[in-house]
Amino acid sequence: MNAPSNREAMLESVALYALGVAPREEAALITAFIANDEEARREYLQVRAAADALAHLADEPVDSATSARMKERLMHRVRADAERAPVARIRPRQAYPAMLWATSLAAAAAIVFAVVTIAQDLSLRGDLALADRRITTLQARIAQTDRAAVQDQRSLTRTLTDLFASDARRYPVAPGAVVVRGDHIYFAFSKLPPPPKGHVYQAWTAAPASKSMAPSVTFTPNADGVAVVALPVDAAKVGTVAVSVEPDGGSKAPTTTPTFVRPLT
Amino acid sequence: MDPGVRLMDRVRARDASAFEALYDAYHRLVFGIGLRMLGDPAMAEDLTQNVFLKIWTAPDAFHGGSFVAWVSRVARNRALDVLRSRAAHPESEVPADLPLDGALDDDVLARIDAQRVRDALAALPSEQRALIELGFFGGVTHQELARRTDTPLGTVKTRIRSGLRRMREALGERVSR
Repeated sequence: MNAPSNREAMLESVALYALGVAPREEAALITAFIANDEEARREYLQVRAAADALAHLADEPVDSATSARMKERLMHRVRADAERAPVARIRPRQAYPAMLWATSLAAAAAIVFAVVTIAQDLSLRGDLALADRRITTLQARIAQTDRAAVQDQRSLTRTLTDLFASDARRYPVAPGAVVVRGDHIYFAFSKLPPPPKGHVYQAWTAAPASKSMAPSVTFTPNADGVAVVALPVDAAKVGTVAVSVEPDGGSKAPTTTPTFVRPLT
Repeated sequence: MDPGVRLMDRVRARDASAFEALYDAYHRLVFGIGLRMLGDPAMAEDLTQNVFLKIWTAPDAFHGGSFVAWVSRVARNRALDVLRSRAAHPESEVPADLPLDGALDDDVLARIDAQRVRDALAALPSEQRALIELGFFGGVTHQELARRTDTPLGTVKTRIRSGLRRMREALGERVSR
């Protein structure tokens, strides 16, 4: 990835990603590249701003009948919701998932779409009461799925924000970088070979001034050698991180020579 | 500050009037994205309701920054979901929601209007302009862009990168006036 020709190709891929035309299977690789490369980060911020501005091109008048129809349906639902019990504002903080590319957003979208469709179909027949009953039935499912989706999205956003932040500390290692920001530690690897069959990579952490390694999460890279991993540990309590290859399920102590050992100093 | 940001604070507190104001201010943008990407007014209408219902049911999905940029990404993602449900449609990836420190700041992004963006786009060479516009609203990958425009893949990449950089410079100049 660091050869000049590859670098230039990757920088072009950063623009594709910013515009939203990068294939989904390449997105993780591009994201890891951005996280590991200062020039790529600057490039991304520049082209992403231009890409975001393109949305304004779509801001055109909507015919008044359509606009009013959509608004009436939405506000009927919203006002009914607002009169029910308020949404709890404070949610307990949860540990970040170790691997961050899975998401339940698609499921959430499917359910929300179902609700909208039902509401539209029935309201067209003037049967809003029936629509409300069916919506209420689905509301519990939405709430449950949305909580998971929001948590996934929050975790992903937080991770990407930390990885790209200018004040993040980056510690180069053979497969990529260890990134520390605030109390979070991440691995952003883009050149990690697949582990042997029946094995996984396992993270290890040691307290400052300690040589005793504590087991942490296990993970595997994708087909491109990319792995973005959030360690479920307070960065302030960690002086050294390491990665080794371990049998599936992980080990209580390293059983192989570490892939790397990196003091966070 | 982006007015959408302030309204979202009130939507989180279940303020229906704030949601109504949010709809009034941004439904044209969301509907327009749906219409451009899906090419069908009825589907754009579904998408608009879907997006705004999502905003109401999960307001915490917005983490701050530019509301315009965020709601545009949500709308594009929803449109991509619809396009993906069609047979054999290639999958592209709308970038995740990230803060843009060091780029166009959020207030500036909120003040930019369609005419400014049209001007910046119009200043590009036609081959760059076509790829960028089709890329943003087409919901396709760069490979599909290459196929549709009968352009080599490497050329598509270079033109998109050059075009976006020039657009950013053009928008930046206008903003600094």
